[in-house]
Amino acid sequence: MLGMPLRRRLRLLVATVTAALLALLATGTASAIQPGGITDEARLMNDLFWIVTIAGLIVFGLVGAALVYAMIRYRRQNDELPPQFHGGGKIEAAMVGVPVLIVIGLFTISMIILVQIDDKAEDEALTIDVTGFQFSWQFAYNLNDLGTNTDPNAEGTIAVIGTPANDPILYMPVDEPVEFLLKSNDVIHSFYVKDFLYKLDLIPGRVNSFTVTARETGDFSAQCAELCGTNHALMRFIVRVVERDEFDAWVAAEAARQLGDGALVSASGTQGD
Amino acid sequence: MAAHGTAERQGMTNSMLGFILFLASEVMFFGGLFAAYFIARADAPAWPPPLTPEQIAEGVHLELEVLLPAISTGILVLSSVTMQYAVWQIQKGNQGGMLWGLFISLALGIVFLAAQLYDYTQLHFRADDTIYGTTFYTLTGFHGAHVAGGALFIAVVTVRALGGQFTAENHEAVEASSMYWHFVDVVWIALFTVLYIIK
Amino acid sequence: MATVAVPQLSGYHRPAVLDWIMTVDHKRLGILYLYFTLFFFAVGGILALLVRTQLAVADNSFVGNDAYNQIFTMHASAMLFLFIIPVWAGFGNYLVPLQIGAADMAFPRINALSFWMLPPAGILMFAGFIVDGGAADGGWTAYSPLAQQTGVGMDMWIIAVIVLGMSSTIGAANFLVTMFRMRAPGMTMFRMPIFCWTMLVTALLQLLATPVLAAALVMLFIDRNYGGQFFDPNGGGNVVLWQNVFWFYSHPAVYIMILPGMGIVSEILPVFSRKPLFGYKAFVFATIGIGGLGFSVWAHHMFTTGSVLLPFFGFMTFMIGVPTGVKIFNWLGTLWGGSISFPTPMLFAIGFVSMFLIGGINGTYSAAVPVDFALHDTYFVVAHIHYVLFGGSVFAVFGGLYYWFPKIWGRQLNERLGKLHFVLMFVGFNVAFFPMHMLGLDGMPRRIAVYADSAGWEALNMLSTGGAFLIAVSMIPFLIAVVMAFMRPKDQPDDPWEANTLEWATTSPPPDYNFDSLPPVRSERPLFDARHSGEEQGH
Repeated sequence: MLGMPLRRRLRLLVATVTAALLALLATGTASAIQPGGITDEARLMNDLFWIVTIAGLIVFGLVGAALVYAMIRYRRQNDELPPQFHGGGKIEAAMVGVPVLIVIGLFTISMIILVQIDDKAEDEALTIDVTGFQFSWQFAYNLNDLGTNTDPNAEGTIAVIGTPANDPILYMPVDEPVEFLLKSNDVIHSFYVKDFLYKLDLIPGRVNSFTVTARETGDFSAQCAELCGTNHALMRFIVRVVERDEFDAWVAAEAARQLGDGALVSASGTQGD
Repeated sequence: MAAHGTAERQGMTNSMLGFILFLASEVMFFGGLFAAYFIARADAPAWPPPLTPEQIAEGVHLELEVLLPAISTGILVLSSVTMQYAVWQIQKGNQGGMLWGLFISLALGIVFLAAQLYDYTQLHFRADDTIYGTTFYTLTGFHGAHVAGGALFIAVVTVRALGGQFTAENHEAVEASSMYWHFVDVVWIALFTVLYIIK
Repeated sequence: MATVAVPQLSGYHRPAVLDWIMTVDHKRLGILYLYFTLFFFAVGGILALLVRTQLAVADNSFVGNDAYNQIFTMHASAMLFLFIIPVWAGFGNYLVPLQIGAADMAFPRINALSFWMLPPAGILMFAGFIVDGGAADGGWTAYSPLAQQTGVGMDMWIIAVIVLGMSSTIGAANFLVTMFRMRAPGMTMFRMPIFCWTMLVTALLQLLATPVLAAALVMLFIDRNYGGQFFDPNGGGNVVLWQNVFWFYSHPAVYIMILPGMGIVSEILPVFSRKPLFGYKAFVFATIGIGGLGFSVWAHHMFTTGSVLLPFFGFMTFMIGVPTGVKIFNWLGTLWGGSISFPTPMLFAIGFVSMFLIGGINGTYSAAVPVDFALHDTYFVVAHIHYVLFGGSVFAVFGGLYYWFPKIWGRQLNERLGKLHFVLMFVGFNVAFFPMHMLGLDGMPRRIAVYADSAGWEALNMLSTGGAFLIAVSMIPFLIAVVMAFMRPKDQPDDPWEANTLEWATTSPPPDYNFDSLPPVRSERPLFDARHSGEEQGH
């Protein structure tokens, strides 16, 4: 007698918590990743994220509902022994078949999207050399590899170097493919821009690369995602996506500041086009 | 220590099964070291890897002589044969034949170890000279340690054999030490092939 | 001298402490394992609270960056190497011989050796905190080259993990021989209790994977101390090599950490549903399948290194969801149509099923390679591992403790306190770890000591910290229940739960060498058969 209300309260609690979790999962993920990233690639990944999420919610909803139903419907009411059911061929085949179908479906979709993301950019893409070090970043631009407005005669590189206390800013133009070459000379770092929905490791002895096309301008915070030592948490940077002419103006100004007048001429010539 | 109240099943004893499982874990340990070697070598742009000018000035060169290790390989393979001979003899109940097999195997094992140590002194690189040196000394070093352990095992078995502890029915330790010795032998053949032969 | 010693010995009793230190009895060793691992669960828990305190607010300076790295590294190391992996050896030690109707493990002295390797290793690992440079701080994954930079605490960590690995390797061989060769008459492999099956597959994984970890750690040690170049690209070495070898062990290790928990749950659910486990053979094959596939998914921890075969490892990672899904069906089918009661062990078992379900679903995100690019190394992954290893394994540990407490200690834990414990832990767990999904999606990387106020992560982190402390609070009713139990006499009958397996056929606690006689074994539920032999004939 005394046990019953407690049991009922527990059941209610389990049901409430389950429902709350479901709601949290839905709203939480929706609000957190709804912006969907700012690059073409990120939007593809965002689609895949939602496909996985919906599949997951369906599985969670069905299994969770079955679990709660079984706990309530089949609670012990008397001392009679329930039917001693061990399982059977057809049900067990379904037990394997259903997960196999879900899994193969999700795998196929994720591979289709992976292939689209991995489409490497043409050689004309602007290339940014990213070097991670303990504990900040260097972003280097080769003046004769600046993408659509490149002047093949320009010489020299300009670089932005940050410190743990002073986050460096990575400038990139909007609406055109940008290739990142990732290098490290000390330990492993990871180039993680949340709004790209992407990260790739910087590994000593290797050069990793990826290409994205940003579709929105603005400042986006980013940071190292692979533990790299004491100040790993301070290895932050800002991705500043700007219109092409603003980008060219920035390059010209930096070239003048870092390389002096000789390079300025060449780089400002690029800007004029 | 095998049986504790519960009837033991037919066939292999618990100790023998436990020993085989232990050998399986040893195989995986060397598997890990070999895998590391293969991954490093497959990914390296050049093999042996290039040396720094300082290393060259110090007289480092990454080369291995094949002749002495080839003879060592023969010695170790021969010792496996004599070890198996010891097992066959005791299976027939011939304690004298087993003792000869054990003595010779032990002696050949010690000769192999001595040859390995001599070979180390003849090399022109150290463990810190590129991954070539590191993998070479790690693989051969761990193998050498296992040969030493195996020789110790055989020595203990030999002492027990001298005390007449083994019979045609009861000679598990002889079989176990022989299995261990064959394992060490097979690992060496793999090492010799990979380190010395495949250029 | 010898002549007088003999009559004296007849009345001589060794001091109890010596008795425990010198014991080779599997039950006592099992209990020692449980005490040892629960101690380190507490230590790891305190470290977790330090982590959560530091992260509660933005730009916090409660602990420094260096200390933070040591704290979370040792939290993971304690929880994985000193708690979860050996706690199953504890349950296994106590239960496997009893469940298969044997008098002891196959090699009792080697069993004692396995246990006594743990305390020195634990002390060595934690002694890192008092040496120059502090404890290991490269994460429990010890990625090279970072792991080359840190102080001598890292070397102590390496040696400790190697020793722990040797302990679990020889322990695994012991379990395998015991289960292969010492089963009671009539107990075929497919009549073995399901917990034994999960221990068997776990032992196989330990036997075959742990030596590879030892090899990796040896290489790291050589690199650190003898100028080795394994992981140094300047000497032709290969940085990613470490990750390949490390994860070749550490992914199977995840199953080493969860499979016996699944076994415990699969013991508890049938007893309190009063039905057999639904699809026993499917469960066994799923367990074996997880074990086998476990060796082919290691590189899904390395999708963002740019150096792994993405389609293959993505596919294998999805595939390992199949046997996992089968198990969810097994548990659901066991409840379905049953006559279910909800004592504390059952609550923890159902808690396991529901939390593990979430842990399975949020794991599929990482199998979908492009999604993993976004989520890898963020708090989403932290949420995932805790839903599997806390929502899964830890719930199973407590379920097992409540379930077998009457057998092991002859006393019952208080039901009301047990339920309070469960409710607090269940709520605390979800409050602590569910927000981490959102933090991960919002871009918070794992293993960061501080985050900026402007990042907007503070509210969820504060919530998570609150949940962590609620978990800590949930331990209070548990500890009270344990103390209360120990103040009572041993009054438990052989079989207080109407259970199925052989450990309940002997007294609580069992005598030396366990059994006077065994009931016949004609199915995987010999005690059920004995209880109902009149009503129901051989099913």
